[in-house]
Amino acid sequence: MTEHKRPKWADWADHIRALDDPAKNFEKPEALDHLTVIDLSSRSMAGPYCTSLLAELGAETIRIEPPGGDLVRSYSPNGVMHRGTGMAYLQEGRNKYHVTLNLETEAGRDMLRSLVAQADVLVETFPAGRMDNWGLGYEELAKLNPRLIYASITGYGQFGPESGRNQFDYDNVAQARSGVQYATGEVLPEGKTVAEVPYAVSTKAGPWIAWAVSGTFGALGILAAAYWREMSGEGQAIDISTPEAYERLNDYMLHWYADQGVVNERFGNLDTCLWLYGFYPTKDGGVFLGGLRLEMWKAFVDIIGKYDDWGAEQWTTLAPFMKKDWQLKYQAMINPETRQYTSQELTAKSIEYAKLGRLAPITPVVAEIVPPWNAMHDEVWRDRGVFAPVQDPVYGSIICAQAQWKSTETPPRTKWVCRPVGYDNGYIYLKYLGYGPERLRELGERGVI
Amino acid sequence: MPDVFKDYVKKKFSRPAPLHGVRVLEVCTLLFGPSGPSFLAEMGAEVIKIELPPAGDVTRSLNPFGWFYKEQSPMFMHINPNKYYMALDLHIDLGQQIFKELAAKADIIEFNLRPGVTRRWNIGYEQIKEANPGIIYIEKNGFGQWGLYAEQDRPSNDGASQALSGYAWMSSFPNRPPLKQSIWICDYYGGLMGEVAVLAALHHRRKTGRGQFIEMSQTENIMRAMSWVWPYQQLTGKGVEAAGNRDQCICPADTFLCADGRLAALAAPAPDEFMGLCKAMGRPELADDPRFREHSVRLQEENALEILKIVAAWARAHTADEIEARGREFGFAATRLHNAVDMNEDPHRRQRGFVKEIDDPLYGCYVEHEFPVMMSKTPPKIKWTVRPVGFDNEFVMTKILGRNQAQIDELYLHGVLGKWKDMQGRRPPSDWDGQAGVIIRR
Repeated sequence: MTEHKRPKWADWADHIRALDDPAKNFEKPEALDHLTVIDLSSRSMAGPYCTSLLAELGAETIRIEPPGGDLVRSYSPNGVMHRGTGMAYLQEGRNKYHVTLNLETEAGRDMLRSLVAQADVLVETFPAGRMDNWGLGYEELAKLNPRLIYASITGYGQFGPESGRNQFDYDNVAQARSGVQYATGEVLPEGKTVAEVPYAVSTKAGPWIAWAVSGTFGALGILAAAYWREMSGEGQAIDISTPEAYERLNDYMLHWYADQGVVNERFGNLDTCLWLYGFYPTKDGGVFLGGLRLEMWKAFVDIIGKYDDWGAEQWTTLAPFMKKDWQLKYQAMINPETRQYTSQELTAKSIEYAKLGRLAPITPVVAEIVPPWNAMHDEVWRDRGVFAPVQDPVYGSIICAQAQWKSTETPPRTKWVCRPVGYDNGYIYLKYLGYGPERLRELGERGVI
Repeated sequence: MPDVFKDYVKKKFSRPAPLHGVRVLEVCTLLFGPSGPSFLAEMGAEVIKIELPPAGDVTRSLNPFGWFYKEQSPMFMHINPNKYYMALDLHIDLGQQIFKELAAKADIIEFNLRPGVTRRWNIGYEQIKEANPGIIYIEKNGFGQWGLYAEQDRPSNDGASQALSGYAWMSSFPNRPPLKQSIWICDYYGGLMGEVAVLAALHHRRKTGRGQFIEMSQTENIMRAMSWVWPYQQLTGKGVEAAGNRDQCICPADTFLCADGRLAALAAPAPDEFMGLCKAMGRPELADDPRFREHSVRLQEENALEILKIVAAWARAHTADEIEARGREFGFAATRLHNAVDMNEDPHRRQRGFVKEIDDPLYGCYVEHEFPVMMSKTPPKIKWTVRPVGFDNEFVMTKILGRNQAQIDELYLHGVLGKWKDMQGRRPPSDWDGQAGVIIRR
């Protein structure tokens, strides 16, 4: 790449960076350091993700696991462990205090009640009814603490005909119920069967996006409930179903069917609604190409040298390009053109075109489709604090994705990545319940902690 | 069912909204920008969507394969409910003045523009802060406000984020080209997380009186959600690759082809769930097999592939509905793959009020998703859908700024305020009677 020449507005960039660079996060206050959160999540990463977001903002977050630890600690590709913990929990144990408590015992449930009486928020992910059966449902805990915000994140919700299902919430099952997986994936080539082309089926996203979305909606609901609590003095119960949360991000599919009877089907790497918008092959991989305005599409055609050949000057609207047959026709015309360049070359051409092209500063979006390995080693993200390693006292130097937003006053930050099972029993039970080592030893012997 | 959610849907409108009294100004287009303020509007905030007259938000033109609902983009409708629609020309001085007057009375302001544009329009953070020190001001875009990519003025959008984050790379089948999602996940997820930032800032302001500036890059944000990928790469020195429908961290967890040609997804990692699945398959001995007994051992590549092969063969001999029923009976997670028909017709979604009918003065009755957070005392709710460009100008100018009709007419005359262009998606639907939905009628 050519030497970077700073833009005219570089002083703005410098000014904002001076105010919100994540490198200075620890000089700033925390937005939620007045809240205490109890995380009872079981088997689901939606709950831990939700409480991570709160803990990154300073909430004192107590993660309660059964003795022996929650199943999520085993979630890891190929079963690989780092000092006894799987890769997934090395991300979402962050900033939390980890205690053990056996909710199958009455003594354990009593200890939880004492914690809840002093807490602001409780997050749980058991199938609906299980907490009630333990005497730990919202109604009962609200009697102890009317200000309690009690958030349940489950597969089927707290009410409705399916809510009685005694099944835990898993990301892949939620993705399958959301409608998103149905419409994502390669199109089955004509005349072929799924048995012959097993990859041409509805395909889920690789990351745990359904869990992330329901966990984030959970955090949003909790923050709104906490805001309302400041006015009313009252807590409340929150019910989130993971498939619904993810489905809310599914756009026109419901409306299209309800109004037109059309079922949205897979369209491969093109987009049912947008042009220019898709993944295209390059000499060394592939790129995303995007241009939702006519001028951006024309600019792209100009970049690949087809402005005159394809008659771009005459185009007055994008509308016909959005139709299915035109999308397929132009996709077939674009593919051989983009194959002549590397992904980097096409990206550079787009940046260059914004300066010197005939339609400048308009230029199409060109983005290399990179493996996560490259993303993690991209100097720009590192410069912006996204992959700053956390120096954890137990787990060593660990890369956590962080700084998902920057801010001048109360940015999120990561202090430690995780803790071993029961690591904070001594501190938390002393702080909240006044239990010293003698009492804890006895509780340990009885299998309560 | 806990009593606290008894009659939840029926009583929604006899309960307050959690963000009542919060005022938001939105100068956003497409999806990443407007989705966030919509979530606030669904929770009761007063959101004023400011568009540039007369064409407004480009989303108004987008559609699946040429289908519009009453001339309107279904995507625009999905992402912009409950807002007030104002058309104000921010390129001109008087428009900027009006914006500042509104900003002085707002709590939150949201933009999705390239870096530096708000300052050029004289409504940048520093300029607004002078009039309203408590303002919470968020700018969302592809690459943030600083850093090499931002300074290169790279344009961005959802697809670019899927590409640059590694999200697409790990979402296809092994040895197949990376796959784009059918939804604009980085847009919507960015919009969602942006409001976590905003509401946290609202709490900080309540405690201290201080506002703040927030910036978000949608690519950085989606990488936060990619979880185990990062420490796995760091600690093993291996790049993460695609694995199709198989969950790489949980076993068994995959989507299977069934006897009826449909797909079913299931997950059964916990001991009780795995035992349930083995029993359902008529193979209880597998639960004790040393290769499969412990979850972390079962996850090892050769063991995982072996058990998934066994489950796949079993699934192939049953219908997708049978797999789902076995899951219920034997206590492991399982579902048939849902599509748009299920969304619309599933009694569970309907009885929870998650899928419901909107009765809109301009657009009539249509089916929409409710906000997916059910709050027992303060239920969020969608009430109305989108409006033509500048539709609520009079209401906003009168209610918030106290302008009279003559003053408003003057602003129209100078092109400060504007109304819709005579164009699909900008003008009212063709059956509009000239009155319905207008808040202040002349």
